[in-house]
Amino acid sequence: MYLLCAVKKWGRVLFLLGLLVVFLVAIKLMGSSFKLLGEDTAESLFRGISNPFAGLAVGILATVLVQSSSVTTSAVVGMVSGGMPVGVAVPVIMGANIGTSVTNTLVSMGHITSGAEFRRAFAGATMHDFFNLMAVAILLPIEMLTGVLQKSATWLTGVIGFGGVAYKSPIKAFIGTLAKGPIRLVTDVLDLSGWAASAVLLALALALIIISLVAITKTMRALMAGRLERALNNVLGKSGLLGMGVGVVITIAVQSSSITTSLLVPLIGAGILAIEVAFPITLGANIGTTITAMLAALASDKSGGLTIALVHLLFNLTGIGLLYPVTRIRRIPVQLAEALAWRAQKNKLWILVYIGGVFVLIPLLGILLFRS
Amino acid sequence: MWKWLNRANPEPSFGEFRRKFDQMLGHGRHVFDLASNAILGGADPDVIRDDLFRTDKKINKLERLIRREIVVHATVHGTSQLPSCLVMMSIVKDAERVGDYAKNMFDIAAQTAKKRDDIHADLVKLKAAVSALLAEARDLYGSQEEAGARDFCLRADKLTDHCDQQVNRMVGTEPGTSQPALSALAYRYHKRVMAHLQNIVTSIFMPVDQLDYFDEDKASRDS
Repeated sequence: MYLLCAVKKWGRVLFLLGLLVVFLVAIKLMGSSFKLLGEDTAESLFRGISNPFAGLAVGILATVLVQSSSVTTSAVVGMVSGGMPVGVAVPVIMGANIGTSVTNTLVSMGHITSGAEFRRAFAGATMHDFFNLMAVAILLPIEMLTGVLQKSATWLTGVIGFGGVAYKSPIKAFIGTLAKGPIRLVTDVLDLSGWAASAVLLALALALIIISLVAITKTMRALMAGRLERALNNVLGKSGLLGMGVGVVITIAVQSSSITTSLLVPLIGAGILAIEVAFPITLGANIGTTITAMLAALASDKSGGLTIALVHLLFNLTGIGLLYPVTRIRRIPVQLAEALAWRAQKNKLWILVYIGGVFVLIPLLGILLFRS
Repeated sequence: MWKWLNRANPEPSFGEFRRKFDQMLGHGRHVFDLASNAILGGADPDVIRDDLFRTDKKINKLERLIRREIVVHATVHGTSQLPSCLVMMSIVKDAERVGDYAKNMFDIAAQTAKKRDDIHADLVKLKAAVSALLAEARDLYGSQEEAGARDFCLRADKLTDHCDQQVNRMVGTEPGTSQPALSALAYRYHKRVMAHLQNIVTSIFMPVDQLDYFDEDKASRDS
């Protein structure tokens, strides 16, 4: 029995490592798919979302569609590796932060028939939305004017080791070797080139990113369930930085901020987790989720991959730094969420207007109005 | 990493609920013994009051803690252990009620005359039997022994029947005691404590939908 458990456990660990390799190969393929187009074509393609609002809208919509900011941010890392300018990618990353918060809002719909329980659950879910919206509303204009996040991330990339020094990572070399297989399959065996080869590789890369991330998340959740439970039990009734730390750790462990924030919704709905206690956990999830883009950067050819991953981290850290320390400001997203939840409890039309508007209609309009 | 992954095993959480539930039953026996000593043993209620109420608060705190942790457990693990969670949610209430009935017993202790009549002697025997049942229920829940649980219920049935007979006697023309109302209440509270213990013990062998309805199965057990 003990032996069987050991085999099962180590089997899962090996399976996870395999999935991680698949994920990194997919990121590599994503970059390669754009390189196959040639620099000029790829550049003209990315120019379509060079307007920051268009990029933001694409980030929101793409994340809502795949229900995972990790997929969006990893794909962006791959695209930056394939030639997308970091400046164009920054608003997309910010959009992914907003888009990912729709998942726990949808989870809160499970409580829709129970008045007060729904109100609590919906407020608990949408406080994440409001925080992310506020962070973008403050930081996107600042970034547009100063490029402070990009500059800081570029500097940090240099400090970490990409700053002009040729460093041959063994992981990168291994992933590069593995990625050659599918590339040869498309270009030599299928005899495709240009747009066709790029489209096939891009589709393959996206499919592999989604499949590997879903599998990693599910496996990690199964492996970490006991720890998750203990962490949540420990944080009940406590607040502040401890909760934020728990949010970071849980999200890194399960590789998904949506899982962390969605786990909180039923607990808030049931009334055993106060919304003020859940709030820092949610913010911790924002930080924890940036690990996926960091992992993706391991497969990135260019320093831009790591830079955009660091932008994601810096954006979330700065957002928390601006909106969390002062109690009055910290209360704003929670109060907005509670006000919306009161209205949504009384009239369910508010839910439709809110979700449809913030996560679908406004991003669609943004793309239509601002794309170049 | 091996140790770390082993600690990540989801199974221990139910063991943790059982450990806390076991504590509840232990505290339950303690408050029951304190209260029944106040009624029957001549202990001064003022002396035991603090201990009794402090222990009852511990029971209530454990009940709330287990409930919270069950919600967290169900949220993290999904529906795979839902029936066990529902059973636990139900029986923690029973364990908490033991504390409540002990307090009810304590409330009448001050009014009870310490007269040594036949009823007093019978209540002393009953108290000893119920206290033993409290300890046995705790052991049975820990071991999850089905045959022992069924036997427990048969013995508890006989004692509850005896309580009913005694209550009927108190309301009749020959109560056999100078304080029939208080004695009837004492029998009633002992009976309720046993009923909650039976709820707990029947969770070992009865399906979740039939918890608390073992009385309806009594006829078949008697036959």
